Amino acid sequence: MKRLRRLQFLFALALIFSTTALPAQNGGELRFCLSGEPKTLNPLAVQDNQSETVAYLTSGVLVRVNRITQKAQPELATEWKVLDGGKRIRFKLREGAHYSDGTPFSSADVAYTMQKLMDPALHSAVGDAFRSSEGKVSTRIVSPTVIEIIFPAPVANLVNLFDTVAMVSSASPLKEMAALGPFYIAEHKSGSYILLKRNPYYWKKDSNGRQLPYLDAVRLEIEQNRELEALRFRRGEIHLINIVSPAIYDKFSAQDRGLVRDAGPSADTEQLWFNQAPTAAIPAYKLAWFTSTNFRRAVSEAINRDDLARVVFRGHARAAIGIISPANRFWFNDKLKPHPYDTASALRRLQQDGFHLDNGVLRDKGGNPVEFSIITNAGNPARESMATMIQEDLKKIGIKVNIATLDFPTIIDRITQKFNYEACLLGGVNGDLDPNSQMNIWLSSAENHQWNPSQKAPATAWEAEIDTLMRAQASSGDEHKRKQAWDRVQEIAWEQEPFIYLVNKDALVAVASNVKNAQPSALRPQTFWNVEELALK
Amino acid sequence: MLRSLSLGFLRLLAIMVLAGLLGATLMRIAPGFGSDEQQLNSSLSSQSIQAIRQARLADSDIPRYYGHYFASLIRGDLGISQSLNQPVRDLLRDRLPVTLRSIGIALSLAWFLGLALAMAGQLLNSTAFTFLSEGLSGTFISTPAAVLALLFVLLRLPPELAAALLVFPKIYRYCHNLLQQSYGLPHVLTARAKGAGRWRILTWHVAPTALPQLLALVGVSISIVIGVLLPIEVICDVPGIGQLAWQAAESRDLPLLVNLTLVVAFITVCATMLSDAARRRFVRSAA
Amino acid sequence: MKALRIAAAALLIIAAIGAIGAKYFAPSGYAHQFRETPDASPSGQHPLGTDELGRDRFARLLYGMRVSLLLAPLAAAVATALAAFLGGIAGYFGGWIERCLMVVVDLFLCIPWLFLLITVRAVLPLNISPEASVVVTFTLLGLLGWAASARVICAGTRDMMKSEFVWLARASGFSGLKLLRLHLLPNLKPTLLAQFWISIPVFIIAEANLGVLGLGVSEPLPSLGSLLRELQQMVTLRPEPWQFVPLLVLILVVSSFQTLLNKHEVRV
Repeated sequence: MKRLRRLQFLFALALIFSTTALPAQNGGELRFCLSGEPKTLNPLAVQDNQSETVAYLTSGVLVRVNRITQKAQPELATEWKVLDGGKRIRFKLREGAHYSDGTPFSSADVAYTMQKLMDPALHSAVGDAFRSSEGKVSTRIVSPTVIEIIFPAPVANLVNLFDTVAMVSSASPLKEMAALGPFYIAEHKSGSYILLKRNPYYWKKDSNGRQLPYLDAVRLEIEQNRELEALRFRRGEIHLINIVSPAIYDKFSAQDRGLVRDAGPSADTEQLWFNQAPTAAIPAYKLAWFTSTNFRRAVSEAINRDDLARVVFRGHARAAIGIISPANRFWFNDKLKPHPYDTASALRRLQQDGFHLDNGVLRDKGGNPVEFSIITNAGNPARESMATMIQEDLKKIGIKVNIATLDFPTIIDRITQKFNYEACLLGGVNGDLDPNSQMNIWLSSAENHQWNPSQKAPATAWEAEIDTLMRAQASSGDEHKRKQAWDRVQEIAWEQEPFIYLVNKDALVAVASNVKNAQPSALRPQTFWNVEELALK
Repeated sequence: MLRSLSLGFLRLLAIMVLAGLLGATLMRIAPGFGSDEQQLNSSLSSQSIQAIRQARLADSDIPRYYGHYFASLIRGDLGISQSLNQPVRDLLRDRLPVTLRSIGIALSLAWFLGLALAMAGQLLNSTAFTFLSEGLSGTFISTPAAVLALLFVLLRLPPELAAALLVFPKIYRYCHNLLQQSYGLPHVLTARAKGAGRWRILTWHVAPTALPQLLALVGVSISIVIGVLLPIEVICDVPGIGQLAWQAAESRDLPLLVNLTLVVAFITVCATMLSDAARRRFVRSAA
Repeated sequence: MKALRIAAAALLIIAAIGAIGAKYFAPSGYAHQFRETPDASPSGQHPLGTDELGRDRFARLLYGMRVSLLLAPLAAAVATALAAFLGGIAGYFGGWIERCLMVVVDLFLCIPWLFLLITVRAVLPLNISPEASVVVTFTLLGLLGWAASARVICAGTRDMMKSEFVWLARASGFSGLKLLRLHLLPNLKPTLLAQFWISIPVFIIAEANLGVLGLGVSEPLPSLGSLLRELQQMVTLRPEPWQFVPLLVLILVVSSFQTLLNKHEVRV
């Protein structure tokens, strides 16, 4: 009997040790590259991708959008309730959370964060997203773990916006450098690297009760050259690449399929648009072409999107349909289909507007040969290639296209200030799933209404309709109603094509084989969105 | 001596001031000044976009900016980089030594290789050697800096070597031609006729004739090396001032550009002044 | 050496014939995209394969040579002429003229000309033809690329002014531009030829780099420099051997120029 009990005891011990020994993930330094120096390490003042990466790795947020399920999940807030149709939100905060220097986290920090965020002098994109109307955003501390945030008007996508709001400490002597996230900034050598170390006070634990993150450190190497980044990955010097070009993807895939992954269509877009601003420094007859829906639809139908996806992106892209990518499962209007490639239909549309072919040259009703320029940013090989292919496509319907690749500040100057361009080919980076973040593109009075910005009154009936729909969805807390409004906006954009959407690229990433628990997503940050669960073998 | 030093210093100062002013003016009138990528951020409100733009245009009055800059310079304040959000002084302090070291290594290697090949070509009197040297210099002068730099990264070789290989053909070409010309001079032909050896002819008769122009070339070769090294630093990710220069150009960062222009002007003018002084001294002593 | 010079001349003639007769030798137009066969290996239809958009590389090489090998030597000649003129004047007159011109030279070496080039692009119409754009680019390169050589020429001229044959020429009544043209500059030929030879490949490569600013050749017109940009992916994509052909052509052409220009080789 005694022997049996001893055996049972030993067996139980073995069982306990075996379960605590799994998973055997422990320590190590994860390394990947930033494409430049972060402009700021203040998580509330984030403006660029590099700063955003550092903030993501070091900051704590109330709510985190799971990049795979695309649903909000509790982080520093365990529960939340949206009240008054989106004008108020109440959070119940997690107890026992501390900043990286041991300072406890409480609702005072949330109130402090909101106060800092809404300071107009900060010019924060996140802060601007909360400004649904004039008026002050206020907070009401109910208890150290319960807080209410009150907005002057309903805010669309209210819950998910908190995925981007880093909670800064009101009490820590380290100020915004005190981290609530899985890591804190330990070293920063300008132009070289940023070293993040494990936050010893990080609140999250795995299913076995083990404190996260598994990694000891994350080293962010500053590497501006994408070729060198790929080389370093191949040499084993870094573990992740967030964005891999199609050519490198295919090359790496041929060598070792496990090195790279295609996470499916991203939320990003590539589009071409024509300058329709009445003050544009272009001849009146060209403005007449660009403001004609038939002209835009004809150009769209003459572009072979499947070829763009196949040749430029080597099959790692698909023909775009509209303003929202199919990767955005909830908001995408799945009734819409890609515009067909049909040069005959394109010519018929043009004929309706009085265009005619004359010895292979397309002319308008005034006899002017149809010729225009496309500007795009130099140094982006995919865009340069797309522009070249579009040039060939439009040649088939008699249109002459000239391509001018310019440096980015010059492009910004031309499309936002001087309006001295004819057509522009650029891309849209959509970090936020909720299309409300595109409000300042679709409102006719907005600065980023690229084809004809800052209108005093909508220039067309369809733009007026979009304005109405945008305002309605922004002030509605009902997701179903908002979805209906956005479906209609997508339909209008599909019909009128102020933006000619070309392709949705796939999210191509590289993950070293010794990185465990990686679940690459099509949404940013693709490879390390679950950094606290990543481990090295 | 004091007079010539003072004149030299004044010349240096004048060129630095003019270069900085002209560089700032060129940047100001070039399109894209005052532009910020954030202007395309659809999450930002109109007011925020306007504020960002106004902040970038704060330095648009160049003469006023320049006056203000020199007043701050006296206090040791070089301004704040708009694109990197860091004091320019700190950026230069961290990165300038890296570039200066690279310049020194690349220049020394380039001159060694260029001069050695040119002199060896004359001494060896071999068609094959000349063919090889010309082929080598032709190859490297035709290779884009980006390609060579990336190849060196692939082979884990130092980027300074890439810069040296890109510069040496120019030095080799000048040296070869100058030495060639000097060999045709009457006094050299006389020395040959009198039976002087090749090494003696080269060192005693040919080199002194070619040296003044070669010394002038030393001065300009520094600006050639800088021109080659800056893109190599960008490509090979060397944390020198090349990266800063590219950053300044890409983001129209006026404080960074003005300071970098002054640094480059200082190095270039000092180099040319030193080489001029060496040349004048040589000519005087030869006379 | 004579055999080498004949070979060099023959190579340049072949390159010139290939470039001028590109329309007849190229299997297809330089812009035509064979979209079903991008990145193809060499074959009967495509002697050097196709590029990433399916365009015939051989055709693009022939047309690219036409652009680069015609315009780069012209731009190099402009830069050399400017260096000779300004450097010669500075060295001839000396004194404050030399000092002023050398200040200009030093400024030229220090100023970030990138922004002037960006401004020029802004002034040019967006619909400028690729041919006109590349002519403008090479003209700019010629106008900006003379400074380094001018210094060397100035130094050479200064020294030559003290030489006996110049004293003799002056005693014979030569002065001013006539002295410069007939006695000084011919003796500076080695320096001038060095400048000319160096400038050709430098300008070809610079033209490609200026594509970042919207200058240089614009699609679909190729140039040697733009073809060389493909090699920048060598680190990860390991270019195929035929992708090095434009580099080989450039090296051979530049070396041939060099061989032909050095016709007065003196042997010790």
